[in-house]
Amino acid sequence: MRVGIYLCSCGTSVSEKVNYDAVAPALAQIPEVAYVRTAEFLCSEEGKQFLQEDLAANRPDRLVIAACSPREIEGAFMQVAGAAGLNPYLIQIANVREQVAWVTPDPERATAKGSAVIRSAIARVCRHEPLERTELDACPDVLVIGSGPAGLKAAVSLAEAGRNVTLIDKAPVIGGLPVRYEELFPNMECGPCLLEPVMGEVIHGEHSHKVEILTLCELDEVKGYYGNFTVTLRQSPRFVDVARCVGCGACIPVCPAQAANEFDCGLKPRPAISLPFAGALPNAPFLSRDACLRSHGEDCTLCRDACPVEGTVIYDECERLIERKVGAIVVAVGASLYDCHQLPALGYGSLPGVYTSLEFERFLARNGPTGGELPLRDAGEAPTVAIVHCVGSLDEQRQPYCSAVCCSYAFKFNHLVRKKLPGSRVVHLFKEIVVAGKEEFAIYRHAVHNPQTRLIRYSDIAGVRVSARANRHVIEYIDSSGRPDEFTADLVVLCPAIVPAEPAARLQHLLETTPDRFGFFQELHGRVDSAQSKVRGVYLAGTCQAPMDIRGACDQGMAAAGYILSGLADGKKLQVSPIVAEVNQDVCSGCRICAGVCPYKAIGFSNERQVSTVNAVLCHGCGTCVAACPAGAIKGNHFSNEQILAEMEAILQ
Amino acid sequence: MTETFPSEQVPSEPASFEPAPFEPKIAGFLCNWCSYAGADKAGAAQIPYPPNVHVMRVMCSGRIDPEFVLQVFRKGADGVLILACHAGDCHYKEGNYRAIQRHRLLLRLLGQFGIAPERCRFDFVAASEGEKYARVLTEMVENIRSLGPLVLDR
Repeated sequence: MRVGIYLCSCGTSVSEKVNYDAVAPALAQIPEVAYVRTAEFLCSEEGKQFLQEDLAANRPDRLVIAACSPREIEGAFMQVAGAAGLNPYLIQIANVREQVAWVTPDPERATAKGSAVIRSAIARVCRHEPLERTELDACPDVLVIGSGPAGLKAAVSLAEAGRNVTLIDKAPVIGGLPVRYEELFPNMECGPCLLEPVMGEVIHGEHSHKVEILTLCELDEVKGYYGNFTVTLRQSPRFVDVARCVGCGACIPVCPAQAANEFDCGLKPRPAISLPFAGALPNAPFLSRDACLRSHGEDCTLCRDACPVEGTVIYDECERLIERKVGAIVVAVGASLYDCHQLPALGYGSLPGVYTSLEFERFLARNGPTGGELPLRDAGEAPTVAIVHCVGSLDEQRQPYCSAVCCSYAFKFNHLVRKKLPGSRVVHLFKEIVVAGKEEFAIYRHAVHNPQTRLIRYSDIAGVRVSARANRHVIEYIDSSGRPDEFTADLVVLCPAIVPAEPAARLQHLLETTPDRFGFFQELHGRVDSAQSKVRGVYLAGTCQAPMDIRGACDQGMAAAGYILSGLADGKKLQVSPIVAEVNQDVCSGCRICAGVCPYKAIGFSNERQVSTVNAVLCHGCGTCVAACPAGAIKGNHFSNEQILAEMEAILQ
Repeated sequence: MTETFPSEQVPSEPASFEPAPFEPKIAGFLCNWCSYAGADKAGAAQIPYPPNVHVMRVMCSGRIDPEFVLQVFRKGADGVLILACHAGDCHYKEGNYRAIQRHRLLLRLLGQFGIAPERCRFDFVAASEGEKYARVLTEMVENIRSLGPLVLDR
């Protein structure tokens, strides 16, 4: 073993405390040490050039550099070592600046400590093993699950970059929820106007040939890992061939059967074959099997007969299983609303005229169940609309978090109600008001400056009670000072908490991603990596990760696309770090304790050999499994027991 | 562990010559992302602290095998310091929770060997907490100094 030692004085930063003249001769006496060099600024360009040339000339087996913190300099010196022909993992940095010279005023003690740190680095580096980054072929294609704003933005930007994207949605239409809203906060843009260009881009835009859109489609199975997923998709029959359909709608008026229109929250029925709302994309009707007379024993063919393009309506279409190979998966499945039936005192489901915000959005929309008319029964000239904020949000008994968007859309409602019915009164019952953002505050100000607006802070949603009186509602509440009071309204709009979507748990199971404590998809890091899950290659966009507005969802869709474009570069192999855990299959007893402590789901199990296996692509190299293995069967590369113990032993001598 | 350690013993007779002042040897296990960075911050701010703690860098506090701690006591350390990211800050999400669990178990085990719990300290040091790092090290060195050398009958 020939260890080369380089002692960097960092100008005088190190050498004025650590006396290299005293340290160097003693180090040279260590049998493994081949030579000791001193340098002034080893990290400078000249210093690195000297190091590279000196390494190439002396060809040591191992390298120890006494310098500043490895957190600052290790990467640069690894590159120099690699350029000089030394495996970059055969080096060890002794941190004699930040952790010795700069914190030990007494030169004698600093010299003693510095010497010990360098000796322990020598002991460790002798046990280093040459490691190589491995490269894997990776598929650059992407699966995007969910076609709301987040999924659409991800799909469009990936397609623009030349990636093949499979965009699936469980609904027969794309666009998610906001496409059904007439106007969006904060600037009252129309939802379809905002989203239709993006939808148009994936359906018939310049890059649309890169996007495969599969509606009525859900993820069924996932195999493999980052760069090499094989996904199975289950597509339910639409009974209408989207490729053939010209979108004339001739099949719709002739249909004699009716189905509840789930896209209008069931507020108005639609024919069994229909578009869910005017302007829905793809512009092809779909047939609800359960509602169709053919499912009830009748041989009705009216829609097929009315269709001008033969072969478009296909009654015997079956469910399809579709397999795709992708390198990355973007989860953009959105969220749901808290079930207001859980708060029966609010009258939702039992009293007419009590609606959720989503239902109210549809009433406001001109393509909604009432053509944009508010569902007032007998309001006279100036109705009162009560908007109850924080239904289920900010509530320790229900959802403890703020749902982030409700106040903004509630003040949007305030504006739209008054626009539709000038003179109407709007009462906001709230627990807290949260309207953050540079533009959002304007809609709040606009609402509170209206003399017909009343803001009432209630103390607890459990104290809010809605009851019927004549054709109106009485809303009783206890205000924040504890005083009970009541008022009368014609319409009650509830703003329910945003909660994880119904399929979230199933998808989390399929993708092996973890839920957070509320059931949303857990992000890798809440601030710096909120669009990544803890499973490499699975990205999160939009409200599946947390309640957020459309801007946040679009940003995360773009972020997910960015991660994929940089991490899974087309034509490049996937780089896998060698600093990972490895299982010695001869020693592993198959207890699977390791799998339980791995934060990244990187540990699998070989049924054949009954041992744990580590997927190097997914492993982050933290070493938690290494410490947990009761059999000592897992080795942490570059942080092995042997290396750590050698370092310890040397330092305690 | 196959070795057994009897209870910590008080050094028997005081030596007849003036003893050198006791300088504790302490092994510090620091996670790379928070605590080691915190140690570097103390350096960058040039906050002095005693040189008795010898630092071992691991990527995550979850890597710290309780056996390492037993080994360093056996090899002559008078104390062990385990420093991790604050709760919720772990670079690897949960490694510091594993480290906390293992430290609790370790204290019970050390008790059975007669090693005082103060000799194995767990604390949180964030990447920004250079001052805390220097304070924790100084306290640790003083505590071990007052406890005296660890004597194990091997």
